[in-house]
Amino acid sequence: MECHDLALQLDDYLDGRLDAVGQRSIQEHLELCPNCRRRHQHAVALQAAVRTLTAPTPHPDFVDRALSRATHAAVGSARHTRRAVLGMALAASVVLGVALGVFLATQPAPVQKVALTLEQPETVRVMFNSAKPLQAATLSLALPENLELVGYGERRELTWQTDLREGGNLLQLPLIARGTVKDELVARLSHGGSSKTFRLKIEIKNAVESGMSPVGFAELVVQPQAGGMS
Amino acid sequence: MPPVLPFRRRRTVASNFEDLLRPQVEYLHRLAWRFTGSVADAEDLVQDVLLKLYPRARELVDIEQLRPWLARVLYRRYVDFVRERARSPIAGLAADAGGDDDPLDTLPAIKDGPEEHAERNRLRERILAALERLSPEQRAVVTMHDVEGYSLEELETILETPLGTLKSRLHRARHRLREFLPMEPFSVGERVNG
Repeated sequence: MECHDLALQLDDYLDGRLDAVGQRSIQEHLELCPNCRRRHQHAVALQAAVRTLTAPTPHPDFVDRALSRATHAAVGSARHTRRAVLGMALAASVVLGVALGVFLATQPAPVQKVALTLEQPETVRVMFNSAKPLQAATLSLALPENLELVGYGERRELTWQTDLREGGNLLQLPLIARGTVKDELVARLSHGGSSKTFRLKIEIKNAVESGMSPVGFAELVVQPQAGGMS
Repeated sequence: MPPVLPFRRRRTVASNFEDLLRPQVEYLHRLAWRFTGSVADAEDLVQDVLLKLYPRARELVDIEQLRPWLARVLYRRYVDFVRERARSPIAGLAADAGGDDDPLDTLPAIKDGPEEHAERNRLRERILAALERLSPEQRAVVTMHDVEGYSLEELETILETPLGTLKSRLHRARHRLREFLPMEPFSVGERVNG
Protein backbone atom coordinates (compact mmCIF):
# COMPACT_ATOMS: atom_id res chain seq x y z
CA MET A 1 0.00 0.00 0.00
CA GLU A 2 1.18 3.51 -0.85
CA CYS A 3 0.58 6.64 1.23
CA HIS A 4 -1.83 7.89 -1.42
CA ASP A 5 -3.94 4.72 -1.03
CA LEU A 6 -4.06 5.17 2.71
CA ALA A 7 -5.24 8.75 2.34
CA LEU A 8 -8.08 7.55 0.15
CA GLN A 9 -9.13 4.76 2.49
CA LEU A 10 -8.54 6.46 5.80
CA ASP A 11 -12.18 7.45 6.34
CA ASP A 12 -13.45 3.98 5.56
CA TYR A 13 -10.87 2.61 7.97
CA LEU A 14 -11.93 5.04 10.71
CA ASP A 15 -15.58 4.13 10.17
CA GLY A 16 -14.91 0.38 10.17
CA ARG A 17 -16.10 0.05 6.60
CA LEU A 18 -13.14 -1.95 5.34
CA ASP A 19 -13.03 -5.73 5.19
CA ALA A 20 -10.42 -7.65 7.16
CA VAL A 21 -7.90 -7.63 4.32
CA GLY A 22 -8.27 -3.88 3.83
CA GLN A 23 -7.89 -3.22 7.53
CA ARG A 24 -4.79 -5.36 7.80
CA SER A 25 -3.28 -3.61 4.82
CA ILE A 26 -3.80 -0.22 6.46
CA GLN A 27 -2.44 -1.40 9.80
CA GLU A 28 0.69 -2.78 8.19
CA HIS A 29 1.30 0.48 6.36
CA LEU A 30 0.75 2.50 9.53
CA GLU A 31 3.38 0.47 11.33
CA LEU A 32 5.92 1.24 8.66
CA CYS A 33 5.13 4.85 7.74
CA PRO A 34 5.52 7.58 10.38
CA ASN A 35 3.91 10.22 8.16
CA CYS A 36 0.76 8.19 7.66
CA ARG A 37 0.77 7.29 11.34
CA ARG A 38 0.68 10.99 12.18
CA ARG A 39 -2.03 11.54 9.60
CA HIS A 40 -4.08 8.74 11.15
CA GLN A 41 -3.55 9.97 14.68
CA HIS A 42 -4.49 13.48 13.66
CA ALA A 43 -7.68 12.20 12.06
CA VAL A 44 -8.60 10.15 15.12
CA ALA A 45 -7.89 13.00 17.52
CA LEU A 46 -9.81 15.47 15.42
CA GLN A 47 -12.79 13.16 15.19
CA ALA A 48 -12.73 12.72 18.96
CA ALA A 49 -12.52 16.46 19.46
CA VAL A 50 -15.48 17.10 17.17
CA ARG A 51 -17.47 14.51 19.14
CA THR A 52 -16.87 16.42 22.34
CA LEU A 53 -18.65 19.51 21.06
CA THR A 54 -21.61 19.80 23.33
CA ALA A 55 -24.53 21.78 22.06
CA PRO A 56 -25.76 24.60 24.30
CA THR A 57 -28.92 23.73 26.13
CA PRO A 58 -31.93 25.70 25.00
CA HIS A 59 -33.19 28.59 27.08
CA PRO A 60 -35.19 27.16 30.02
CA ASP A 61 -38.53 28.27 28.65
CA PHE A 62 -37.74 27.64 25.00
CA VAL A 63 -39.57 24.32 24.74
CA ASP A 64 -42.76 25.71 26.28
CA ARG A 65 -42.53 28.91 24.30
CA ALA A 66 -41.90 27.18 20.98
CA LEU A 67 -44.71 24.68 21.44
CA SER A 68 -47.09 27.34 22.61
CA ARG A 69 -46.34 29.56 19.64
CA ALA A 70 -46.83 26.68 17.25
CA THR A 71 -50.19 25.70 18.64
CA HIS A 72 -51.50 29.22 19.10
CA ALA A 73 -50.27 30.62 15.82
CA ALA A 74 -52.31 28.23 13.69
CA VAL A 75 -55.51 30.25 13.52
CA GLY A 76 -53.87 33.63 13.49
CA SER A 77 -51.38 32.77 10.81
CA ALA A 78 -53.90 31.40 8.36
CA ARG A 79 -54.50 34.90 7.06
CA HIS A 80 -50.86 35.03 6.00
CA THR A 81 -51.09 32.08 3.68
CA ARG A 82 -50.98 34.27 0.62
CA ARG A 83 -47.24 34.31 0.28
CA ALA A 84 -45.29 36.73 -1.80
CA VAL A 85 -43.22 35.06 -4.46
CA LEU A 86 -39.59 35.96 -4.73
CA GLY A 87 -38.67 37.35 -8.06
CA MET A 88 -42.07 38.82 -8.75
CA ALA A 89 -42.25 42.34 -10.01
CA LEU A 90 -41.76 44.77 -7.21
CA ALA A 91 -44.06 47.68 -7.55
CA ALA A 92 -42.21 50.60 -6.18
CA SER A 93 -38.97 51.61 -4.66
CA VAL A 94 -37.70 54.14 -2.25
CA VAL A 95 -34.09 54.99 -1.69
CA LEU A 96 -32.90 56.09 1.67
CA GLY A 97 -29.39 57.38 1.77
CA VAL A 98 -27.61 56.76 5.03
CA ALA A 99 -24.34 58.61 5.35
CA LEU A 100 -22.21 56.64 7.72
CA GLY A 101 -19.49 59.26 7.86
CA VAL A 102 -17.23 58.61 10.78
CA PHE A 103 -19.80 56.20 12.14
CA LEU A 104 -20.11 58.02 15.41
CA ALA A 105 -22.03 61.10 14.36
CA THR A 106 -24.13 62.39 17.19
CA GLN A 107 -27.11 63.89 15.42
CA PRO A 108 -30.29 61.97 15.96
CA ALA A 109 -31.77 60.27 12.95
CA PRO A 110 -35.09 61.64 11.80
CA VAL A 111 -37.57 58.87 11.23
CA GLN A 112 -38.08 58.27 7.53
CA LYS A 113 -41.40 57.27 6.06
CA VAL A 114 -42.22 54.80 3.36
CA ALA A 115 -45.68 54.07 1.97
CA LEU A 116 -46.54 50.50 1.05
CA THR A 117 -49.64 48.93 -0.42
CA LEU A 118 -51.19 46.11 1.56
CA GLU A 119 -50.17 42.62 0.44
CA GLN A 120 -47.99 44.03 -2.30
CA PRO A 121 -44.23 43.53 -2.15
CA GLU A 122 -42.22 46.68 -2.59
CA THR A 123 -38.52 47.22 -2.37
CA VAL A 124 -37.13 49.75 0.01
CA ARG A 125 -33.58 50.51 -0.92
CA VAL A 126 -31.22 51.85 1.66
CA MET A 127 -27.98 53.34 0.48
CA PHE A 128 -25.21 53.23 3.04
CA ASN A 129 -22.43 55.64 2.22
CA SER A 130 -19.37 54.58 4.10
CA ALA A 131 -16.30 56.78 4.39
CA LYS A 132 -14.07 53.73 4.52
CA PRO A 133 -14.27 49.98 3.95
CA LEU A 134 -15.74 48.10 6.92
CA GLN A 135 -15.02 44.44 7.38
CA ALA A 136 -17.59 42.20 9.05
CA ALA A 137 -20.14 44.82 9.97
CA THR A 138 -23.31 43.43 11.51
CA LEU A 139 -26.68 44.51 10.24
CA SER A 140 -29.74 43.72 12.35
CA LEU A 141 -33.32 44.31 11.37
CA ALA A 142 -36.25 44.37 13.74
CA LEU A 143 -39.47 44.11 11.78
CA PRO A 144 -42.68 45.38 13.37
CA GLU A 145 -45.84 43.33 13.44
CA ASN A 146 -47.57 42.96 10.07
CA LEU A 147 -44.42 43.74 8.12
CA GLU A 148 -42.50 40.92 6.47
CA LEU A 149 -39.23 40.73 4.62
CA VAL A 150 -40.11 38.70 1.54
CA GLY A 151 -38.76 35.17 1.85
CA TYR A 152 -38.41 35.26 5.62
CA GLY A 153 -41.99 34.58 6.60
CA GLU A 154 -42.93 35.96 9.96
CA ARG A 155 -39.43 36.27 11.35
CA ARG A 156 -39.15 39.53 13.22
CA GLU A 157 -35.44 39.61 14.06
CA LEU A 158 -32.85 39.16 11.35
CA THR A 159 -29.09 39.56 11.47
CA TRP A 160 -26.42 39.40 8.84
CA GLN A 161 -22.72 39.96 8.82
CA THR A 162 -21.23 41.63 5.80
CA ASP A 163 -18.46 43.82 4.47
CA LEU A 164 -19.08 47.38 3.39
CA ARG A 165 -17.00 48.96 0.72
CA GLU A 166 -15.97 52.57 0.63
CA GLY A 167 -18.70 54.68 -0.93
CA GLY A 168 -22.20 53.50 -1.75
CA ASN A 169 -23.50 50.16 -0.56
CA LEU A 170 -27.03 49.34 -1.60
CA LEU A 171 -29.22 47.29 0.68
CA GLN A 172 -32.45 46.10 -0.89
CA LEU A 173 -35.29 45.19 1.41
CA PRO A 174 -38.28 43.60 -0.34
CA LEU A 175 -41.03 44.31 2.17
CA ILE A 176 -44.66 43.32 2.28
CA ALA A 177 -47.26 44.77 4.62
CA ARG A 178 -49.83 42.27 5.84
CA GLY A 179 -51.87 44.79 7.79
CA THR A 180 -51.58 48.08 9.56
CA VAL A 181 -48.00 48.60 10.68
CA LYS A 182 -47.98 50.51 13.92
CA ASP A 183 -44.35 50.33 14.90
CA GLU A 184 -41.24 51.29 13.00
CA LEU A 185 -38.76 49.08 11.22
CA VAL A 186 -35.50 49.41 13.08
CA ALA A 187 -32.19 48.68 11.39
CA ARG A 188 -28.94 48.74 13.26
CA LEU A 189 -25.49 48.62 11.78
CA SER A 190 -22.73 47.67 14.18
CA HIS A 191 -19.01 47.53 13.77
CA GLY A 192 -16.16 47.36 16.22
CA GLY A 193 -18.26 48.11 19.29
CA SER A 194 -20.10 51.06 17.74
CA SER A 195 -23.48 51.03 16.17
CA LYS A 196 -25.89 53.21 14.26
CA THR A 197 -29.60 52.87 14.27
CA PHE A 198 -32.11 54.15 11.80
CA ARG A 199 -35.86 53.86 11.87
CA LEU A 200 -38.38 53.61 9.13
CA LYS A 201 -42.04 54.35 9.59
CA ILE A 202 -44.33 52.32 7.36
CA GLU A 203 -47.54 53.86 6.13
CA ILE A 204 -50.21 52.03 4.21
CA LYS A 205 -51.39 53.53 0.97
CA ASN A 206 -55.03 53.27 0.12
CA ALA A 207 -55.91 51.32 -3.01
CA VAL A 208 -56.99 54.32 -5.09
CA GLU A 209 -53.91 56.30 -4.35
CA SER A 210 -51.56 53.41 -4.96
CA GLY A 211 -53.28 52.53 -8.20
CA MET A 212 -52.95 56.03 -9.58
CA SER A 213 -49.58 57.08 -8.39
CA PRO A 214 -46.89 54.57 -7.59
CA VAL A 215 -44.16 55.68 -5.27
CA GLY A 216 -41.35 57.28 -7.15
CA PHE A 217 -37.66 56.95 -6.74
CA ALA A 218 -36.91 59.31 -3.91
CA GLU A 219 -33.54 59.85 -2.43
CA LEU A 220 -33.34 60.92 1.15
CA VAL A 221 -30.28 61.51 3.19
CA VAL A 222 -30.45 60.90 6.87
CA GLN A 223 -27.88 61.37 9.54
CA PRO A 224 -28.15 58.26 11.66
CA GLN A 225 -27.97 58.57 15.38
CA ALA A 226 -25.01 57.29 17.29
CA GLY A 227 -24.89 54.96 20.21
CA GLY A 228 -27.48 52.40 21.04
CA MET A 229 -24.65 50.06 21.78
CA SER A 230 -25.73 46.53 22.23
CA MET B 1 -60.82 30.83 4.91
CA PRO B 2 -58.96 28.94 7.63
CA PRO B 3 -60.54 25.84 9.06
CA VAL B 4 -61.97 26.73 12.44
CA LEU B 5 -62.08 23.82 14.87
CA PRO B 6 -64.39 23.75 17.84
CA PHE B 7 -62.53 24.92 20.94
CA ARG B 8 -62.43 21.53 22.68
CA ARG B 9 -61.19 19.75 19.58
CA ARG B 10 -58.56 22.38 19.01
CA ARG B 11 -57.39 21.93 22.57
CA THR B 12 -57.10 18.18 22.09
CA VAL B 13 -55.13 18.57 18.89
CA ALA B 14 -52.83 21.06 20.58
CA SER B 15 -52.42 18.84 23.59
CA ASN B 16 -51.61 15.76 21.47
CA PHE B 17 -49.17 17.79 19.43
CA GLU B 18 -47.40 18.97 22.55
CA ASP B 19 -47.28 15.47 24.03
CA LEU B 20 -45.76 14.12 20.87
CA LEU B 21 -43.29 16.90 20.17
CA ARG B 22 -42.22 17.98 23.64
CA PRO B 23 -39.72 15.12 24.04
CA GLN B 24 -38.22 16.00 20.66
CA VAL B 25 -37.75 19.75 20.92
CA GLU B 26 -34.41 19.67 22.72
CA TYR B 27 -33.12 17.14 20.24
CA LEU B 28 -34.25 19.34 17.36
CA HIS B 29 -32.64 22.34 19.00
CA ARG B 30 -29.37 20.47 19.40
CA LEU B 31 -29.42 19.34 15.78
CA ALA B 32 -30.35 22.81 14.57
CA TRP B 33 -27.45 24.25 16.53
CA ARG B 34 -25.08 21.73 14.98
CA PHE B 35 -26.32 22.76 11.55
CA THR B 36 -26.25 26.51 12.09
CA GLY B 37 -23.68 27.04 14.84
CA SER B 38 -25.90 29.72 16.34
CA VAL B 39 -28.37 29.53 19.19
CA ALA B 40 -30.58 32.23 17.70
CA ASP B 41 -30.72 30.49 14.34
CA ALA B 42 -31.32 27.13 16.00
CA GLU B 43 -34.30 28.58 17.86
CA ASP B 44 -35.65 30.13 14.68
CA LEU B 45 -35.28 26.87 12.79
CA VAL B 46 -36.99 24.78 15.44
CA GLN B 47 -39.77 27.30 15.85
CA ASP B 48 -40.31 27.35 12.13
CA VAL B 49 -40.46 23.56 11.94
CA LEU B 50 -42.99 23.40 14.78
CA LEU B 51 -45.14 26.05 13.13
CA LYS B 52 -45.14 24.06 9.92
CA LEU B 53 -45.87 20.77 11.67
CA TYR B 54 -48.79 21.85 13.80
CA PRO B 55 -51.33 21.96 10.98
CA ARG B 56 -50.33 18.33 10.31
CA ALA B 57 -50.56 17.34 13.95
CA ARG B 58 -52.90 14.43 13.35
CA GLU B 59 -50.59 12.89 10.75
CA LEU B 60 -47.67 12.85 13.17
CA VAL B 61 -49.25 10.13 15.30
CA ASP B 62 -48.89 7.64 12.47
CA ILE B 63 -45.19 8.22 11.92
CA GLU B 64 -43.31 5.21 13.24
CA GLN B 65 -39.81 6.64 13.52
CA LEU B 66 -40.62 10.16 14.56
CA ARG B 67 -37.14 11.36 15.49
CA PRO B 68 -35.40 10.61 12.18
CA TRP B 69 -38.46 11.89 10.38
CA LEU B 70 -38.24 15.16 12.30
CA ALA B 71 -34.53 15.33 11.58
CA ARG B 72 -35.36 15.12 7.90
CA VAL B 73 -37.94 17.91 8.18
CA LEU B 74 -35.45 20.03 10.08
CA TYR B 75 -32.72 19.40 7.54
CA ARG B 76 -35.00 20.38 4.66
CA ARG B 77 -35.94 23.55 6.46
CA TYR B 78 -32.29 24.23 7.18
CA VAL B 79 -31.44 23.96 3.49
CA ASP B 80 -34.25 26.39 2.68
CA PHE B 81 -33.02 28.65 5.44
CA VAL B 82 -29.53 28.66 3.95
CA ARG B 83 -30.89 29.45 0.50
CA GLU B 84 -32.91 32.31 1.91
CA ARG B 85 -29.76 33.63 3.48
CA ALA B 86 -27.87 33.22 0.25
CA ARG B 87 -30.31 35.49 -1.53
CA SER B 88 -30.67 37.83 1.42
CA PRO B 89 -30.80 41.53 0.69
CA ILE B 90 -27.52 42.02 2.42
CA ALA B 91 -25.84 40.33 -0.51
CA GLY B 92 -26.22 43.60 -2.35
CA LEU B 93 -24.16 45.24 0.33
CA ALA B 94 -21.09 43.13 0.01
CA ALA B 95 -18.73 44.35 -2.64
CA ASP B 96 -17.20 40.95 -3.00
CA ALA B 97 -18.29 37.96 -0.97
CA GLY B 98 -15.23 35.98 -2.00
CA GLY B 99 -15.43 33.28 -4.60
CA ASP B 100 -15.98 29.62 -3.95
CA ASP B 101 -17.27 26.68 -5.90
CA ASP B 102 -20.27 26.29 -3.71
CA PRO B 103 -22.41 29.43 -3.42
CA LEU B 104 -23.69 28.18 -0.10
CA ASP B 105 -20.15 28.36 1.24
CA THR B 106 -20.18 32.13 0.94
CA LEU B 107 -22.96 32.61 3.43
CA PRO B 108 -22.31 35.39 5.86
CA ALA B 109 -21.52 33.89 9.22
CA ILE B 110 -23.62 34.79 12.20
CA LYS B 111 -21.72 35.37 15.39
CA ASP B 112 -22.85 33.95 18.67
CA GLY B 113 -23.40 36.15 21.64
CA PRO B 114 -20.46 37.19 23.77
CA GLU B 115 -21.51 34.97 26.68
CA GLU B 116 -21.41 31.88 24.53
CA HIS B 117 -18.04 32.92 23.16
CA ALA B 118 -16.68 33.31 26.66
CA GLU B 119 -17.72 29.76 27.54
CA ARG B 120 -15.86 28.22 24.69
CA ASN B 121 -12.35 27.09 25.21
CA ARG B 122 -9.77 27.73 22.57
CA LEU B 123 -9.98 24.32 20.98
CA ARG B 124 -13.73 24.36 20.88
CA GLU B 125 -13.66 27.76 19.20
CA ARG B 126 -11.28 26.53 16.57
CA ILE B 127 -13.35 23.46 15.81
CA LEU B 128 -16.53 25.46 15.58
CA ALA B 129 -14.84 27.97 13.31
CA ALA B 130 -13.66 25.15 11.10
CA LEU B 131 -17.14 23.62 10.97
CA GLU B 132 -18.56 26.98 9.97
CA ARG B 133 -16.30 26.98 6.96
CA LEU B 134 -17.85 23.79 5.64
CA SER B 135 -20.76 23.94 3.25
CA PRO B 136 -24.15 23.33 4.91
CA GLU B 137 -24.36 19.89 3.35
CA GLN B 138 -20.89 18.92 4.55
CA ARG B 139 -21.60 20.27 7.97
CA ALA B 140 -24.82 18.31 8.22
CA VAL B 141 -23.23 15.01 7.25
CA VAL B 142 -20.18 15.39 9.45
CA THR B 143 -22.13 16.42 12.53
CA MET B 144 -24.90 13.88 12.10
CA HIS B 145 -22.46 11.05 11.36
CA ASP B 146 -19.46 11.85 13.53
CA VAL B 147 -21.22 13.60 16.41
CA GLU B 148 -24.80 12.34 16.51
CA GLY B 149 -23.77 8.85 15.48
CA TYR B 150 -26.13 8.25 12.57
CA SER B 151 -24.88 5.69 10.08
CA LEU B 152 -24.50 6.70 6.46
CA GLU B 153 -27.33 4.32 5.62
CA GLU B 154 -29.62 6.14 8.04
CA LEU B 155 -28.50 9.46 6.64
CA GLU B 156 -29.45 8.31 3.16
CA THR B 157 -33.06 8.60 4.29
CA ILE B 158 -32.76 11.58 6.59
CA LEU B 159 -30.75 13.75 4.24
CA GLU B 160 -32.41 12.24 1.15
CA THR B 161 -29.03 11.81 -0.47
CA PRO B 162 -27.51 8.71 -2.13
CA LEU B 163 -24.95 6.74 -0.15
CA GLY B 164 -22.13 7.44 -2.60
CA THR B 165 -22.71 11.17 -2.43
CA LEU B 166 -22.80 11.04 1.35
CA LYS B 167 -19.53 9.13 1.49
CA SER B 168 -17.74 11.60 -0.74
CA ARG B 169 -19.32 14.52 1.10
CA LEU B 170 -18.16 13.13 4.44
CA HIS B 171 -14.70 12.49 3.03
CA ARG B 172 -14.46 16.06 1.73
CA ALA B 173 -15.79 17.49 4.97
CA ARG B 174 -13.24 15.65 7.08
CA HIS B 175 -10.48 16.51 4.66
CA ARG B 176 -11.36 20.18 4.92
CA LEU B 177 -11.53 20.02 8.70
CA ARG B 178 -8.06 18.50 8.78
CA GLU B 179 -6.84 21.31 6.56
CA PHE B 180 -8.46 23.97 8.69
CA LEU B 181 -7.20 22.38 11.90
CA PRO B 182 -3.56 21.48 11.40
CA MET B 183 -1.65 18.86 13.33
CA GLU B 184 -0.28 21.03 16.11
CA PRO B 185 -3.17 21.05 18.59
CA PHE B 186 -3.88 17.39 17.90
CA SER B 187 -0.30 16.22 17.94
CA VAL B 188 0.70 12.66 18.70
CA GLY B 189 0.19 11.63 22.27
CA GLU B 190 -2.03 14.58 23.16
CA ARG B 191 -5.24 13.67 24.85
CA VAL B 192 -8.34 15.39 23.60
CA ASN B 193 -10.95 15.54 26.25
CA GLY B 194 -14.25 17.34 26.47
